[in-house]
Amino acid sequence: MTAPMIAPTSAAVTSPTMNPWRLEWLRLTRTPRWVALFGVYLTFGLLGPVMATYLAGFLQDVQTQMTIIVPPPEPKDGIVNYVNQVGQTGLIVVVVIAAGALAFDARRGLSTFLRTRTGSMWQLVRPRITVAAAAAVLAYGLGTVAAWYGTALLLGPLPVGAMVAGLLCESLYLVFAVAVVAVAASIARSGLGTVGVALGMLILLSILGTAGALHAWLPSTLAGAPAALLTGTSAADYLPAIGVTSVVIPALVAIAVARLGRREV
Amino acid sequence: MPIESLVAMPDGVAWPSGSTLLAVAPLIGLIVGLLAFSLVDLVRARSVRYVPKWLWALIIVLAAAPLGAVLYLLVGRDRRSALPSEPVEASDRGQAGVGGELTVKADHGGRRRDGVPNPGAPARGGSPVDRRTTIRRAAEPVVETDGLTRDYGGGGLFDVDLSVPLGSVYGLVGPNGAGKTTMLCILGGMRRADRGAIRIGVPRRRIAVCPDVSEFDSWLTAREVVEFALALTGVDAPAGGVAGALSAAGLAHDADRRVGGFSRGMMQRLGLACALVGDPRLLIFDEPTSALDPAGRAEVLDLVSGMRGDRTVIFSSHILADVQRVADTIGILRHGRLLYQGPTQELIDTHLQPRWLVRIAGDPSLLRAEFGSQPWVTRVDPAGPDAVRVEAVSIEAGERGIPAVLASRRERLVSCDPVAADLEAAFLALTSR
Repeated sequence: MTAPMIAPTSAAVTSPTMNPWRLEWLRLTRTPRWVALFGVYLTFGLLGPVMATYLAGFLQDVQTQMTIIVPPPEPKDGIVNYVNQVGQTGLIVVVVIAAGALAFDARRGLSTFLRTRTGSMWQLVRPRITVAAAAAVLAYGLGTVAAWYGTALLLGPLPVGAMVAGLLCESLYLVFAVAVVAVAASIARSGLGTVGVALGMLILLSILGTAGALHAWLPSTLAGAPAALLTGTSAADYLPAIGVTSVVIPALVAIAVARLGRREV
Repeated sequence: MPIESLVAMPDGVAWPSGSTLLAVAPLIGLIVGLLAFSLVDLVRARSVRYVPKWLWALIIVLAAAPLGAVLYLLVGRDRRSALPSEPVEASDRGQAGVGGELTVKADHGGRRRDGVPNPGAPARGGSPVDRRTTIRRAAEPVVETDGLTRDYGGGGLFDVDLSVPLGSVYGLVGPNGAGKTTMLCILGGMRRADRGAIRIGVPRRRIAVCPDVSEFDSWLTAREVVEFALALTGVDAPAGGVAGALSAAGLAHDADRRVGGFSRGMMQRLGLACALVGDPRLLIFDEPTSALDPAGRAEVLDLVSGMRGDRTVIFSSHILADVQRVADTIGILRHGRLLYQGPTQELIDTHLQPRWLVRIAGDPSLLRAEFGSQPWVTRVDPAGPDAVRVEAVSIEAGERGIPAVLASRRERLVSCDPVAADLEAAFLALTSR
């Protein structure tokens, strides 16, 4: 039997060939996602040291009868302020953006298109997880550099080793958060449901982390590392959490791929 | 507050200076950049959501910066209003129909009237006779199911033995809830069967599925969507394959528009282009013409019809006229069971009695009574003020009996035409039993 050929036309193909990686890049850059992600981290990164520096002055200006005594700001306060502010807001933005890419089953037509053309679910999920995680890490890194810059100008120098270690710990946690979103997308079908399940899992983990015995081993511990490492906590204290998280991330991704692959449209 | 970092201005405002200025300047730059980005985006947008553009401009500028800008970007931005990469003039759209859809006709030679070869037609220009020969020679089934069952607790599919000949256009019809979509989903690999066997003689990457409602990421252009579809299949397409698929689906002039602004019919065409670009051997269409206007429907049906002999097509439709027009083989599902499977014409011939419309000059009521008394007549119905519709046990009985009755009553005959048997009548005859 002769295969019919798709006839070439005079219209030349000018744009680069699409692939799943380019799709994810376009998803970030053609939508407000990049503005939200980088805007949040950069804003808090620039705002953190300023807030830490002038917090005492602000409080003095607004207080009336009550006297609030704020200790003089130290260099670590610039980063602590940034981490505290961006910890929740930034994580929510990362979860929402990752859910937007991974909850492709929310739209039946799109799900059918993707699932019936892809050789394997891994081929479909890998770029979505990788690009979302890379963008989150990059945004956090950019925010950290901004906070570091402001702190160095306003409050003084910061220890490079502790800063880099904190950056790596938080980056690992953000990758973990994206992997959690992947599992959530395999549980819930809609985008909103995926965000809800993922945030629920991350909050639950944080609550579990308050238990003394588990604290050192849970991935959620890494979220506080950038601030804690500047206040005297040793990087070695985070090795158990780093180890567990490094194992859990591929496990979560494998679970997500398996569950998404078994799901019916 | 460190006094040395602030410079007292005459009006009492303390402006940052020195290291504070260096620390705050990027923050100010970020906020100003966000405001500028939002305003430029607002000016370029064709439409915005919820409130007018001028009000969004006020919100962006006046609301506590940059919250207004963030609010606009997250809520007010209408993605479908994004400007196309290349301007599209109305005259470039050919004979724009409803929703600006391109109207392109195709003739039976597989060549469209705009001169672009139809990808659904044989590449070597085989004649219809050649195609029929091909079908006869290669009539072995390419898709077979054996006792296929998927039980949804009463509904679903039950013991379906489907057999789709290679190179055929197979129409799957049935009432709502008959199991058509379930059948297509199982064949497309999107759902699993509870029991039974499926044999598909085509590699998975050579199967294309087109759902009834096609959906794509709104921020991609049509060309990018088709390129992406090609990339996912991993099939090496000939040069110009993407443009050819877009052209075949009638989207050549909309290739660089973002699909967020497409109508439902255009999305369905785009789904068709995505299905074609991978040069599939088996195409599975769920209601391929449901969102198209009559001209678009005709184009798609021509395209599907042109695939006969070269690709195998399975499609479901509730428009039986469409099925009769393009399907050479038909399967009728009801309550999850296959009632009939075989050539479309055979179904019509087997399940419909021959009928004639007899028109006379005068009152047909007495003639109707006369026909009703004949043993070879199975049914007589009035058909207007001067005609009756006569249904006979066989073609021969009607051809011999009708002239005899007319002659015996000395009626003045105006016309006597056989009523074309259609699939809808056959379908109703079969499913009403």
